[in-house]
Amino acid sequence: MEPRVRHFVRNSEKAFADRQLQVALSRTTAKFLENRAAAVAEFPRFEGARESASRIRQEALDNLDAHLARFITEARKRGAVVHAARDGPEAREIAARIAKEEGVSLAVKSKSMIAEEVGLNGALEADGVEVVETDLGEYIIQLAGEPPSHIIAPAIHKTREDVSRLFEEKLGEPYTEEIPALTRIARRRLRDKFFSAQMGISGANFLCADTGSVVLVTNEGNGRMVATLPRVHMVIAGIDKVIPRLADLPVLLSLLPRSATGQALSSYVSVLTGTKRAGDAEGPERLHIILLDNGRTGILQGKYREILKCIRCGACINVCPVFQSVGGHAYGWVYPGPVGSVLAPLILGLPESSPLPNASTLCGACGEVCPVKIPIPGMLVELRGDEREQGLKTPAEVLGMKAYASVMSRAGILEAFQRVAGVVSALLFKERKIERLPFAFSGWTERRDFPAPAPQPFRKLWKRQRGIRPWTR
Amino acid sequence: MRQTAELLDRVRAALRGRTVAEPGLPYVAPREPGAPGSAQGRIDLFRRKFEALGGTFLAGPAAESVIPALGELLRAEGVTALFFPEEDPASRSLADALVPFGPFLLVSPADIRQAEPPVSAGIQSAEFAIAESGTIVQTSRGGTSLWPGLASDVHVCLLSPDRFLDGMEDCLEALSGDPPRSISLITGPSRTADIELTLTMGVHGPRRVIAVLPSS
Repeated sequence: MEPRVRHFVRNSEKAFADRQLQVALSRTTAKFLENRAAAVAEFPRFEGARESASRIRQEALDNLDAHLARFITEARKRGAVVHAARDGPEAREIAARIAKEEGVSLAVKSKSMIAEEVGLNGALEADGVEVVETDLGEYIIQLAGEPPSHIIAPAIHKTREDVSRLFEEKLGEPYTEEIPALTRIARRRLRDKFFSAQMGISGANFLCADTGSVVLVTNEGNGRMVATLPRVHMVIAGIDKVIPRLADLPVLLSLLPRSATGQALSSYVSVLTGTKRAGDAEGPERLHIILLDNGRTGILQGKYREILKCIRCGACINVCPVFQSVGGHAYGWVYPGPVGSVLAPLILGLPESSPLPNASTLCGACGEVCPVKIPIPGMLVELRGDEREQGLKTPAEVLGMKAYASVMSRAGILEAFQRVAGVVSALLFKERKIERLPFAFSGWTERRDFPAPAPQPFRKLWKRQRGIRPWTR
Repeated sequence: MRQTAELLDRVRAALRGRTVAEPGLPYVAPREPGAPGSAQGRIDLFRRKFEALGGTFLAGPAAESVIPALGELLRAEGVTALFFPEEDPASRSLADALVPFGPFLLVSPADIRQAEPPVSAGIQSAEFAIAESGTIVQTSRGGTSLWPGLASDVHVCLLSPDRFLDGMEDCLEALSGDPPRSISLITGPSRTADIELTLTMGVHGPRRVIAVLPSS
């Protein structure tokens, strides 16, 4: 997927103006939050599991060399061919070569964000391979020719009416607003593809180092069909997907579905180890695993290593007030929301994705819901600092923030400012709002008012109420 | 080979100077208070969780209650074809016993492998049942096919009382060492919420899962 991260502000404006999108977002975001909250409330061990999961993921990263080497050895022992790709172009080249060598003309694919990250479908299609998305959401956006707008529900930006019109136009199906009927259309259309494809493509939710297993979690059951029916299975996964042990799965799986969709467990968890064995009833004869770096070793080295703990549940995305307002496409890349605002600068480069660390109100909700305790809000602040260091902030902004910091860190000066501001405000802004700010701040008041300073500063009221300084009574 | 070696070199270089974390231990989930200790307790908990997911649990004497009830359920779902893995004699005899409650046709898995197949029930013995989550476990051990739970409209899972486990940990422990090629943990029917987050059953897999525990 071609990154359009730089245009976040413009994209957001478009998103606000898009009525259909706003309807779709309003129908879904609250549901996500309710489902997760209910699932967490029903699971008293949630906090303990979070702590354990965080430690498992940290351990995996701190010793990634050993775990990755073990994974490669174990997977090869069981018949897998393991490839390594340094970046997107290399991954595309490897995938295209595999398809060619295996004689593939039709591939069925299970939802994979990493495949979106490297633009896998395009590379295969350029070589004449038909790639069919089988996750319902992905199938919808593939028909529409759009990128996903959410890592868990890729077509969340579409209403049922949108989907029906799309099926009518692209598939010649009769218009219906019944969601089960739309689902049946996809089932019928995709069934034959599953049976005739030579290759299945999937990502991986986890890679178990001690057994060389690939773990796939789906609700629809397409993941296991993709990994069972075709002769060849191609897995593409980031190196950060490795976990030390198969035995780590229960705790990670106690968090992933609860955080993602609010289910205690997703309908289908498949643990896939190697190729079809003698005496097996089914399974792929060939298994290719492409391990993708694409900037991850660089992240591993730096101060943002913990972002690689991410298990892609999407909880931070759903809870983010910015995402709730603009949807996923505004972010301009595969990973929207807070996790994307950290990953995009680290993988695409900060100059390329500079607006994103600022696409946050720093409310902290993302950090609170993260099942593996990634300190996302702190990372966003840190990235803003990096922006300044790399000269990506305007001089006015840098100067302004410096002045702000020096005032805020000195109580006496702050009080003096507040006193003056209170007097000025009482004189000038009778309605208690500022409709236009000058200079570098004008952007703020383009679409909303700025609250005028209170005539009585909070600090003063506080002191009076609590009697901290008796002489102010 | 060269590419993977280079990748490992890059990872090693990135971790140079690391403070090595304590070797971790797999997390062992503490049991919920009142977790079942007995075989019957596990069966009861499984039933509760399984039914909460929309599953149907049938237990009792096979000939008198389970088979007639199952036949009725399948008819109500519009099932006309039954299939089972060749190597699974228990599911074959269940299918045979169901025929008089039909009309059901016994078909081969190949008959389901078409774009517009008959409405079918796939019958299969489950390897394990996990009480804590109401999960059915199937593996590829012993040449077992995934097929009945993969592409049928209704999945009928034949359970036996000694295959109930407390949690996922117990299941993975039983299969660790040299895990079979495929372990499937099946928790409820095939579902999606990809359109407006509205829950819909039976996307690619079964829309209904029925667990059967006949008593001898």
